[in-house]
Amino acid sequence: MSDHPFKFRRPTEIEDKAFAEATRYFAGHVEQFPASLGAVKHLETHIATTAVAAHMSAQQSPHENPILASDGSQWHKSVDVSENISICHRNATGTLEFAVVELFPATGRNEVLTRGRSAVEVLKAFAQDQRQALQIWKEDLAAQVREFLTEKYPGHEMDRVADVFVLQYATETAARKQAITHSHGQKHGGGIHI
Amino acid sequence: METVPNPQPPPAKPPERLAYSVQEAADLLGVNYFSVYRLVQRGKLKVCRALRGKLLVPRDELLKLLKSE
Repeated sequence: MSDHPFKFRRPTEIEDKAFAEATRYFAGHVEQFPASLGAVKHLETHIATTAVAAHMSAQQSPHENPILASDGSQWHKSVDVSENISICHRNATGTLEFAVVELFPATGRNEVLTRGRSAVEVLKAFAQDQRQALQIWKEDLAAQVREFLTEKYPGHEMDRVADVFVLQYATETAARKQAITHSHGQKHGGGIHI
Repeated sequence: METVPNPQPPPAKPPERLAYSVQEAADLLGVNYFSVYRLVQRGKLKVCRALRGKLLVPRDELLKLLKSE
């Protein structure tokens, strides 16, 4: 990795310690971010097949699995995108329309997230929103790690540790690493692995 | 002469928090972190930024979200 902050020198003992502490403190983020990023990547790589499946569902079972959205619009579930999110269809005024709908079975308030006439475009717009949410998360995580390390190690320059932390846990590489680690049944270590 | 002991004043209540971090907000709502960031991205949950750029979720916005859902 050419832009790696520790490319030209090994981390110091205090940087290693700070990194391990941050990893423990932000364990929830460390676990959840790569998993969420992996889910978005999976969605993006399967947009075409999901869209085809949605079209087929709309043609083969146009009136099955009715869903009432909180804005009053009526939809029919086509394909699940994730646990509580589905792509749905409806035939309003003779035109086939698709929507990504978040389902809240407990409250029945199902929310339309994106909608349009092209299943592909609807899924792309949804994936883009997810990407933006991940970016907000990444920026917030970087700020939180900086704040944590500055308070924990006053007088020490910890920006590089924070940079490595984000690089290690909140990037595409992190998502791939977690997928591999999980497939091998291992757990995250606490040190800086470069 | 017997003196009546002064009753101890009740312990002061800690001041109510005005804002929470995202993970605190996620814990309070009982959802995962990504759900909170998705709410922020969609404009359903208004947040502000602290000095270093860390997101803060105002208590009022959390209550507003719960009332609207």
